[in-house]
Parts: sequence; C-alpha cells; structure tokens
Amino acid sequence: MNDIDPPPFLGTWRNVYAAVVIYLVLLILGFWIFKVTFSP
Amino acid sequence: MNWIDWAVLIASVVFIVGYGLWKSRGSDSVSNYLLAGKTMPWYAMALSIMATQASAITFISTTGQAYVDGMRFVQIYFGLPIAMILICATAVPLFHRSGVYTAYEYLERRFDAKTRALVSGIFLIQRGLAVGIALSAPAIVLKVILGWPDHWTTLFMGVVVVGYTTLGGIQAVTWTDFQQMLIMFAGLIVALGTAIWLLPSDIGLGGALHLAGAAGRLNPVVTSFDWNDRYNIWNGLIGGLFLSLAYFGTDQSQVQRYLTGKSIAASRISLLFNAIAKVPMQFFILATGAVVFVFYTFTAPPILFDNAALKKIQQTQSYTQLQAKYDAAFTVRAKAARAYVSAQDEASLTAYRTAHKEFEAAKKEGSDLAATVTGKSFNDTNYIFLTFVMQYLPVGVVGLIMASIFAAAMSTISAEINSLATVTVIDVYQRHIRRNATDQHYLTVSKIATLFWGAYAVVTALFSSGLGSLIEAVNMIGSLFYGGLLGVFVLAFFTKRVNGTAAFIAVLAGEAAIFWAAKYTDISFLWYNVIGCVVVVLVGVLLSYTPVGSQQEPSSVSVF
Repeated sequence: MNDIDPPPFLGTWRNVYAAVVIYLVLLILGFWIFKVTFSP
Repeated sequence: MNWIDWAVLIASVVFIVGYGLWKSRGSDSVSNYLLAGKTMPWYAMALSIMATQASAITFISTTGQAYVDGMRFVQIYFGLPIAMILICATAVPLFHRSGVYTAYEYLERRFDAKTRALVSGIFLIQRGLAVGIALSAPAIVLKVILGWPDHWTTLFMGVVVVGYTTLGGIQAVTWTDFQQMLIMFAGLIVALGTAIWLLPSDIGLGGALHLAGAAGRLNPVVTSFDWNDRYNIWNGLIGGLFLSLAYFGTDQSQVQRYLTGKSIAASRISLLFNAIAKVPMQFFILATGAVVFVFYTFTAPPILFDNAALKKIQQTQSYTQLQAKYDAAFTVRAKAARAYVSAQDEASLTAYRTAHKEFEAAKKEGSDLAATVTGKSFNDTNYIFLTFVMQYLPVGVVGLIMASIFAAAMSTISAEINSLATVTVIDVYQRHIRRNATDQHYLTVSKIATLFWGAYAVVTALFSSGLGSLIEAVNMIGSLFYGGLLGVFVLAFFTKRVNGTAAFIAVLAGEAAIFWAAKYTDISFLWYNVIGCVVVVLVGVLLSYTPVGSQQEPSSVSVF
C-alpha cells in the first residue's frame, strides 16, 4: 500500500485534483446561468 | 399506505439487510469487523460515505427547504469538493500508512495519550448526542404525516439497524449503505420525475421553472456576503470547506468508511466521487422541492402541513375566516401565475409577485396562530414533502419514497453506532482498560460495544421523541465541536514542533472561542468551524515556542 499508486485516469493525482476544481467552477457557473435564465 | 407500498418498503428493507449480512460473512477478526480487512472497493466506500451523510431528516427537510426558501441551501456544499481534495492529499495517506483503526489513534502517535483521550471523548459526546436524534427524527415526522406510532417506528428501525451492525460489523454497514444509497437515488429520481409529471399540462417544466424563479425559489448562487446568513457563495466556499474538512477528515463515522479501502488510491477515488456527485445530488433534491412549490401553486396546499397543529387551529374561532382568506389568496395567485406563464411580461410578473406575497402573508397568519395555540415556535418545513408524497404520488412510488427515507435513516445510524463502538473499543477499552488481550476478546468486546451504542441510541430516541426543541439544541451542540477537532488535526499534520501539551491546551482554547462566539455573537454556525480551527492552530503554534509546548524531537508522522 503506497500513495504513489497513480490514479486510474488523468495520469497524476495533481491532474485529478485540478479536474475536480475546474468541475466545481463550471458547476457554480452553470448554477449561476440557471439562476439568471429563470429568475427575472 | 396501500399494501403495494408496504410490500415495496418491506421488500427493500429485507433485501438490503439480507444482502449486507450475506456480504459481511467472515467478519471473524477485529480487523475484518472494524475495517473490513481493508478490502473494500472504491465504489462501495464512495456510496457508503454519501449514504452516511444523507440522513432521513436531510432527505425530508431539504425538499421542504427549497419549497419555503429556494435552492440557496445548495451553496453550503460548495466547499466540499475542495475539502475532499485536501483530505485526499493529506489525511488519507497519513491514516493509511499509520495503520490506525481510528483517526484519534493517530493523535497519540503524533502527540500523546491525553490529546487522544480528549479528542476521542469529544467525539463520543458529540456523536452520542446525535445518534438518538438521527433515529427519532424521522419517526416523529412519520407520526405527524402517517399517524404511525413513533415509538414503534423507532423500535423497528433501531432493532433492524442494531441487528445487522452488530452481526456484520463494518462490512454489513458498508454494503447496506451501498444498497441504501441506490434506493435513495431511485427515490429521488422518481420523486422529481413524478412531481414534473403532475404539473398542469399548460404549465410544463419550462413554465414551472419561470414561476419558481419569479418567486425567488431558483437561487442556487447568492453572491452578496453576510456573516449571519449561511446561505451565500462565500459562506458556502469558506465555511462549507471547514465544515467538510472537519466532518470528512476528523469524524470517525466518515474516516472509518475510507479506512476500509484496499489502497490509498481506492480511498482517494471514493472521496473524489463524493466531490463530484454530492453538489449535483443536493441540487436535484432542492429542485424537487422547487417543483413541488410550483405544483402547490395550482393545487391548494393545506394552510399548515403539520396535521397535529392544523387540527388544533381548526378549533379556534378565527380559523374559518383565516382559511377563507387563505383560499382566496391561493385562487388569486394561481390565476396570476397562469397569466405570467403565458405573457411573461413586467405587468404579469408584478401581479404574480404581489399575489404570491399576499398568499405567503395568509400562510404566515396560520403559522402564527399555530404558534399561539401550541405555545411554541412553529415551523412545518419538514412535513411539506411527505404530505405531497402521501397525497399525490401513485401507489408503489409512495413505497419507494418511504424505503428511501428508511434507507437514509438506517445508513446514518448504522455508521454512527459502528464508529462509536470502534472508538469505545480502540481508544478507550484497548488503550486504557485492557491492553494485551486476544483478537477474539477484542472482537467480542466490539460486538458488545456495538450492541451497547445501539441500545443507547434506541433508548435516547424513545425519550427524545417528545422534545422537539431539544433536537434543535443537540444539533447546535454538535456544530460546536468540529472546529476544535479540525484544528488539532491541522496541528498534527502540518507542524513538527507542537507537542501534546500544546495541542491539548489549544483544543480547549479553540472550544472556548467557539462557545464564546455561539453565546455572544450572531455569526452563522458555519463560521464556528473556522474560528475554532484558527484559534487551535494559533494557540498550538504559539505554545510551541515556549518550553511547555515544544516537541523534544520533530515529529516523523506529519505531512511536512
């Protein structure tokens, strides 16, 4: 058991963490677009 | 409930418990019983982590929250993905490499026995207070909506959960959590789909979203900052980050889930799955509440969703007049809503908002009357979703939603009982009472501890069922401890100079700061975690520059 096992996707853990951060930013942006689209 | 709903509910419970017990066969050592022999696949841990966090009352209340206050509640989870990344990078490898059973066991390796005893004691008090409430809360709601005797519901759920948790240990807990989360997903999807299907045909989903937006129910991002309001993006990102760090990084009921992983990578993936899935899941739960709000724009809702309170106000003199005013306000709002959906101009929007405000005012008069009659503050948010389910959802779907609620309750309670027993055995019994017994002895003690905490949960649930205000108080008490717990783990992970005495004093200082903030300020409870953590770290680091708080040799079990 060691923490240098690579993740099953995106090559490195650093890339996986970056992908999660980008996902969160896009999600919040999507929520904001959802809000302004339906809230007059 | 129809017999088909009963069949769906009972079949779900029997299948989940049976499957969990079948998968847990062979839990014949302490390692297998408490850590599943570190063999769990990532997907089982991922759904177990998610199921543990989603309690029945979260499931029931969140939809009601969207009905009365909109979707801004989702922002409380914005800090969660960041917290998961930080935990994956720090806590997961440290806990795995240390080979610990509990997070608090690690604290003795890093600091000393008294720090471990203090923190595990805080955990036992905090979780011990919460576990009975987690069991009693859904029973109270089901009593009001369905008339089920709450004592029997509590006993039924309690006996089932204690049975499989005691027999199968963490493997039974994790595999039942896995199935329970799938049932919850199914229940959520069906509830949202049915709510949309029940909307009037001339309104549709598009019209419903415009109506919900016009009434302020579609507000998942609020950018204005307010210290006292927990539901804005800043409090969600910062306060939510600290809350999630404390919950997933230091609370044994969560740490134990990912300690069962077969590798560091598996544990990390299970947490990152939650980082990806949790926020959308909460969004869809809240969206269900928003759609239910629109449904009740065209189908008259009761003036109070709490049946018991409704019966009481119906006996007052002012009720008939109040109900007539409420009915009239409903009719005007429904007409204005239809006009707004078809015209979508400024005039129809203003008319709809005015009608909605008058309807809300009439509803508030009903709530105020209930508060006067019952002699306590009145809030029927928890009863909205279940009233909708029972009155309007088709046969079979009701049973599935009930199975989801039972699954949510049981998954949370089983994890709490399991973690309380683990801390009792590893951090108290094995450390302070009997140090060198056989594995079989500790296995037997683990089962007895599980049985004890299960019985404790049932008894406290039975006694707390009539004490509504106590439930709020206990939830509040729980939020007072996380900041201190998080702070001591930050010291453990990121400092090498701080010794056990400094950490011990720092935790007490952090807790004092949180209690001061709770008593003398109006700051949202989300910030207690930030305050507690910052004070613990500052005091610990400052003390490390004095003779009393400085480590003789730098720690070798920190991250840096």
